[in-house]
Amino acid sequence: MYTDDIVVPRMLYGAVLGSDYAHARILSYDTTAAEALPGVKVVLTGAKLDGKLYGKCIEDEPILATGKVRYVGEPVAAVAAVDRATAKQALQLIEIQYEELPAVFDAEEALAADAPPIHEDRMRYGGRVPPLDNPNLASSTGFQEGDVEAAWAQCDVIVEDTYETPAQQHMYLEPCSTLAVYDRAADQLTLWTATQGVFIVQYAIAKWLGLPMSKVRVIAPYIGGAFGGKGGLTNQPIAAALAVAAAAPVKLTYSREDDMTMMKSRHPSRIYMRTGAKQDGTLVAREARIYLNTGAYADEGPFVNAIAAGFSRGPYRIPNFKTEAWCVYTNRLKAGGMRGFGVPQANYASELQLDAIANKLGLDPIELRMKNALVTGDKFLGGQNVDHGTVIGCLEAVRQASNWETRRAKRAVQPGKRRGIGVASAAHVCAMNGAGATIKLNEDGTLTVNTGAVDVGQGSDTALSQLAAGVLGVSLDQIKYAAPDTDFSPYNHQTGGSRTTYTVGVAVERASEHARDQIFEHAGEMLECSVDDLELRPGGLVGVKGVPAKQLPFTAIAKRALFNVGGPIMGTANWVYEAEKFDPKRTLTAGFAPNAVGVFYFAALVVEVDVDEATGKVEIVEAWSAHDVGRAINPGAVAGQIQGGLVQGFGLALIEELLWDEGRLVNPSMMDYKVPGAMDVPYEIHAIILEDPEKTGPFGARGVGEIPVNLAAPAICNAIEDAIGAKLTTIPATGERVLRAML
Amino acid sequence: MIESVTIDLRINGEVHSLEVETKRTLLEVLRQDLLLTGTKRGCNQGVCGACSILVDGNSIRSCLSLAVAMQGRDIVTIEGLSNGALLDRVQRAFLDAGAIQCGFCMPGMIISAKGLLNRNPRPSREEIRNALGNNICRCSGYVKVIDAVHRAATT
Amino acid sequence: MKYLEPETVDEAIAALASADDARCLAGGATLVAMLNAELVDPEVLVGLRKIHALRGIHRTANGILIGAMTTHNEIAADDRLVGALAMVRSAAGQIAHDAIRYVGTIGGSIAHADPSADWPAAITAADASIEMASSSGTRSLSVDEFFLGYLQTAAQPGEIVTAVNIPSGPENSRGYYLKFSRVDGDYATVSIALVLAMKGTRCDYIRFAAGACGPRPLRVAAAEDRLLGTELTAEDIAAAGELLAAEADPVTDVRGSAEYRRLLIPRLLKRAITLVNQLPHD
Repeated sequence: MYTDDIVVPRMLYGAVLGSDYAHARILSYDTTAAEALPGVKVVLTGAKLDGKLYGKCIEDEPILATGKVRYVGEPVAAVAAVDRATAKQALQLIEIQYEELPAVFDAEEALAADAPPIHEDRMRYGGRVPPLDNPNLASSTGFQEGDVEAAWAQCDVIVEDTYETPAQQHMYLEPCSTLAVYDRAADQLTLWTATQGVFIVQYAIAKWLGLPMSKVRVIAPYIGGAFGGKGGLTNQPIAAALAVAAAAPVKLTYSREDDMTMMKSRHPSRIYMRTGAKQDGTLVAREARIYLNTGAYADEGPFVNAIAAGFSRGPYRIPNFKTEAWCVYTNRLKAGGMRGFGVPQANYASELQLDAIANKLGLDPIELRMKNALVTGDKFLGGQNVDHGTVIGCLEAVRQASNWETRRAKRAVQPGKRRGIGVASAAHVCAMNGAGATIKLNEDGTLTVNTGAVDVGQGSDTALSQLAAGVLGVSLDQIKYAAPDTDFSPYNHQTGGSRTTYTVGVAVERASEHARDQIFEHAGEMLECSVDDLELRPGGLVGVKGVPAKQLPFTAIAKRALFNVGGPIMGTANWVYEAEKFDPKRTLTAGFAPNAVGVFYFAALVVEVDVDEATGKVEIVEAWSAHDVGRAINPGAVAGQIQGGLVQGFGLALIEELLWDEGRLVNPSMMDYKVPGAMDVPYEIHAIILEDPEKTGPFGARGVGEIPVNLAAPAICNAIEDAIGAKLTTIPATGERVLRAML
Repeated sequence: MIESVTIDLRINGEVHSLEVETKRTLLEVLRQDLLLTGTKRGCNQGVCGACSILVDGNSIRSCLSLAVAMQGRDIVTIEGLSNGALLDRVQRAFLDAGAIQCGFCMPGMIISAKGLLNRNPRPSREEIRNALGNNICRCSGYVKVIDAVHRAATT
Repeated sequence: MKYLEPETVDEAIAALASADDARCLAGGATLVAMLNAELVDPEVLVGLRKIHALRGIHRTANGILIGAMTTHNEIAADDRLVGALAMVRSAAGQIAHDAIRYVGTIGGSIAHADPSADWPAAITAADASIEMASSSGTRSLSVDEFFLGYLQTAAQPGEIVTAVNIPSGPENSRGYYLKFSRVDGDYATVSIALVLAMKGTRCDYIRFAAGACGPRPLRVAAAEDRLLGTELTAEDIAAAGELLAAEADPVTDVRGSAEYRRLLIPRLLKRAITLVNQLPHD
C-alpha cells in the first residue's frame, strides 16, 4: 500500500493554491467565497498560521507563503474538502492581492549588489548556516590545498571552460502524498507519508506545529520512489496543518503538475573550471568556481554546495587545488537533494576537463585517469584517508569489458551516424549520521528486525534482512522487517547519501550479534557448555561444535527466555558514523563545510554513442559500468541500482531539464518534461560488480545508490566529443545542442 | 451541473453497478469507488502508464478513459491477474527476475506485458522493449523488466 | 456534464445541437486529458463509440475511405495500405504509443487539428479530403480548406467529421512517414510525410508536408515543383528543402526551438526522400 491507497473514515481531501508571481508582497486575502462553498471544511493561508519557519540548513521556509511569495507556484493557500473536485474548486474562489516585486532568476545575477533581496530577514533566521553579507547568498564553501596560483606555471597544458547543468526533476512515479490524522481529544497527530525519513518528518512537524514529538507519529508505507525528492519535508506540513485545523483526517496527494511546481529539483549549476597538467599527464592544479541555484528556499542546498565543492577534485590526486562554491537564492522553485547531491554537477565539469587534457596531450583518456587516480593510502580532498582506492580497478574493468582499445581504434559506422566512445570515473560517500537497530527473537524462532530505515525502492528492507539472516544463519523468510514507524522504530537519519546498507547495516549487524550472544548465553546453560564451544547451524539452530547431535532450535531458547530465564531476547545496537575531520594543516576550509560524511566508494563508466548527423540526436548504444561496492549483499539489487541510476544519469545527460519562462515553469508535466523510457536507453547496460571488502562495513559492504548518476553525463559528453570533435559543455545534450556544436 | 449516472462496469469478471459523475475517469472510479488501488495515478495524462489496465485484452490508459464510456467492455486490473494467493505467470516472473524496486510502476508495467503477450506470446527482447517503451519506470533502468517479460514468455 | 451515446450520425448531430457548449468524444486520448486538466468543460459530451457507420476502412474506386472512429491501431494493422498509402499506415503506427493507438481515432485527431500531431501532415501529403456531416447535410473539404490554423478547422459548430477519403496515388507511388522526436512516444519535433512516384530515374509525382512546423501542416507546392522531373540529386533536394523551410512558421517549445525546426526541415526531407527511394515496390 502506498500513501494515496490508504483510506480512513471521514477523510477529507486537500488541495493547494500556488502563487502566480515569482516575487511579490501579499497584500490581502479573501477566502470567504471558498469557505462558503458546500463541502469545504477548512481554508488556510499564511495569515492563519503563526509564520514559523523551517529548514534543514537555514530556517527560511514557511508552511504557506507569509508576507510575500518567492516563486511562481509557491503554496499560498490550502483547502480541505469532502472530495478532490470540491477542494480544487475552492482554490479558484480564493482571492489574493499581490504587489509585484522585481525578481531574479540567475544565481550570479542574484549575487549582484543591485539584485532584489529574496530573504530580507535573513539575518534573523535560525539554522546551522550563519548569515552572510549578501542576503541572496545562502551559503558558501571553499577548500584549498597546496598553492594553486604558483602551480599554473608548472603546467605544460591548461584547459579552462564553463559548464552548465540543468534543474533535473526527480520524477518519482508516486507524486508526493501525505495522510494526516489529528485526534483532537488526545492532541495526537499521525502521518502516513511518502518520505525518505520518518524521524526527520516527526521532528520538523512537531517543531513547526508546537507539539512535543511524543504527540507526533510518522509511518512510512510503501514509497513509490524518492531519489532525494522525498527527503526532509514535502507536503507533510500543509497536510498536518489542514488536519489540525479540520480536526479530521486529510489526505493530500499532489497532482504531477503540483508536485513539479511546488516540491523541488536538482540544483542547476554553472561551473568555471580550470585544470593544469604536465606533459606526461600528471595533474598539477585545478581551480573551480561553482554556482548552485538553490531557488527560493535553501532546503539542503548548503549541504549540496559543500559536497559539490568537496568532490570537485574528482577521484584524483591534484596537489594544488582551490574551489569555491556558492549556494544562491533566486526566485525559482527551490532546489534540494537529488541522487548524487552536487557530485553529478561537479563531476561533469571535472571529467570533461580530464578528457580535454587527454586530447591536448594525445593520451588515452583511461590511461590519464589511471595515472592520477587515488589509490589506497592517498588522501581525499580534506585529508580523509582513502581506505579502498579502487578507481583503477573500476577503470580496468570497464576498459576490458568494453573492448575500449578495439572500439577506439576502429569505430563502427552506421549510415548517417557518427559513433563515439567515452569514459568517466567518480567517487562518492556512503556513511552518514546515526542509526539504531533492534532484533527480537519470536517465540517460534523467527526474528523481527526494526530500524526505521525506509526502503524507497532501493531494496534496503531485503538487504538489511539479509544481514540479520546472515549473522544468525537463518533463511530470509525467517526474518520480518518492520515498517518504519516513529512509535516503534529505534532511529534512522533517513534514506539518502547511499548510506543505508553501510550505516544502518552496521547497526543491524551489531544488533544481530548482540541477539546471537544472548542466544548463546541461554544455549550454553541449556547444553551445559561454554559459549565458546557453541556454533550457529543453518535454519535457526545452536549446537556444540563437533557434536552434531547436541543442538537446540531458536524456539526452545526463546521459550526459556520468555517464560523462565532472562526475559525476551532483544539485540540492540546504535551508533553514529564519525567521519575523519578535515585536516587543517593540509586543507584550508572556508564557509559551511560540514564533515560528517565518509567511506568513499568509486566507480567508472564507458559508454558508446551514435550521433545522428542530420538531427544531432544522441543514441546510447551500449554501456559498461564497474562499481566497487565492497560486498554485494544482494547482487541483483546492486545491479538494479546501477542500471536505474545510469538511466537517470542518461536522462540528465541528454533530455531532462526544467525550463522557465522568466519565473514560470514551462514544462511541469510528464508530457512536457521527458524522462527516459525503455526505447530511449539500450538494453545493453552492463553492470559490473567489484568487491574489495570494506573493513568497517557490514559483511564488507559499501554503498552504490548515487554514483551511477555522477558518471553518466560526463561519459556521454566525452563520447559525443569523440564522435563529433566538439565539446558539449552544457547538458542536457539535446539534439539541438549537439547539432549546433556540429555546425 | 454535475451530472451523475448509473453505469454497469465489468471489472475482473464481475459486474459492478455504480453511480458516477460523468466527468470521472475509470482510474478514479477504480481507486475511489471500488477501492481497487493497484492501478496507480502517476501523471493523469496518459504518459506514464502507471494507470494501465486491460480492455478486451489490450493495455490502455485508465486515466484517459471516461468511466461512462466503458460500459460493455471487459476490463481487467492488476488485481484480476492473481487468483487469490496464486500469482499470475507474469507477476511471478517479475519477482523472480528482481525487476521490482519501488513497485509503483509495476502494476501498469505488468498489465502492459500481459497485453503484449496476449498478442505476441514469444516476443524478442526488442519487441518487449518496444511494447513497454511508454510505461515509465524511474528506478530500474528497464534491463531487468525486459528480462522479466522474456522470462514469462519462455517459461 | 451530460453524456450521450447516439447510435447514428443523425442522432449525434441532434445531440450536438442540444447545447451551445457540446463536444464530441471520439477515443478520448486528447479530450479526456483536457477534461482532467480542466481545459474544457462542456455541458454536453456526445460519445461516438456506438456509431458503426463511422468505423472501418473501405476500398473506394480510387483509394480508401477511413471512418472517423477508426483507431490508429486498426489503420496501422491494415496491410492493404501499400504504395502511397503505406505512408498513411506508417504514420498511424508512429502516433504516440500502443495504449494511445488502441483508443485514438483518425477523426478525433483531425478534428482537433494539433499541428504537432501526425494525422494532419500525413493526410495533407496524401491529398486527402475530409467528409463531414451536419444538420445542413454533408460536404467534403480538401486538406487546405479544412486545416485553418492552430487547433482550428473549417468544421462548423454542430458539424462532425465522418470520414477521410484518401486517394491511392499514382501507380508505382511509394509513401514514407518520418517522425523525429525527443524521445519515443513523444509528439514530433518535426515530421515529414511524403508520397513519391518515379518514372525511370526521374521524379514523376511528389507531394510532401511537414508537421510541427507551423500552425497548419506545412506544404509548399513550389518545393514540390522544384523536384518534379528531376533526378532528385542532393542539390535538387537541398533547394526544395530551403523552399519548404522558408515558409515554415514553427514555434519554440519544449520539443525544440523554431530555429532548430527550420534547420531540420531540409535535412529530414532529404532523409525521407532517400529512405522512400530505398523501399521496394509493392
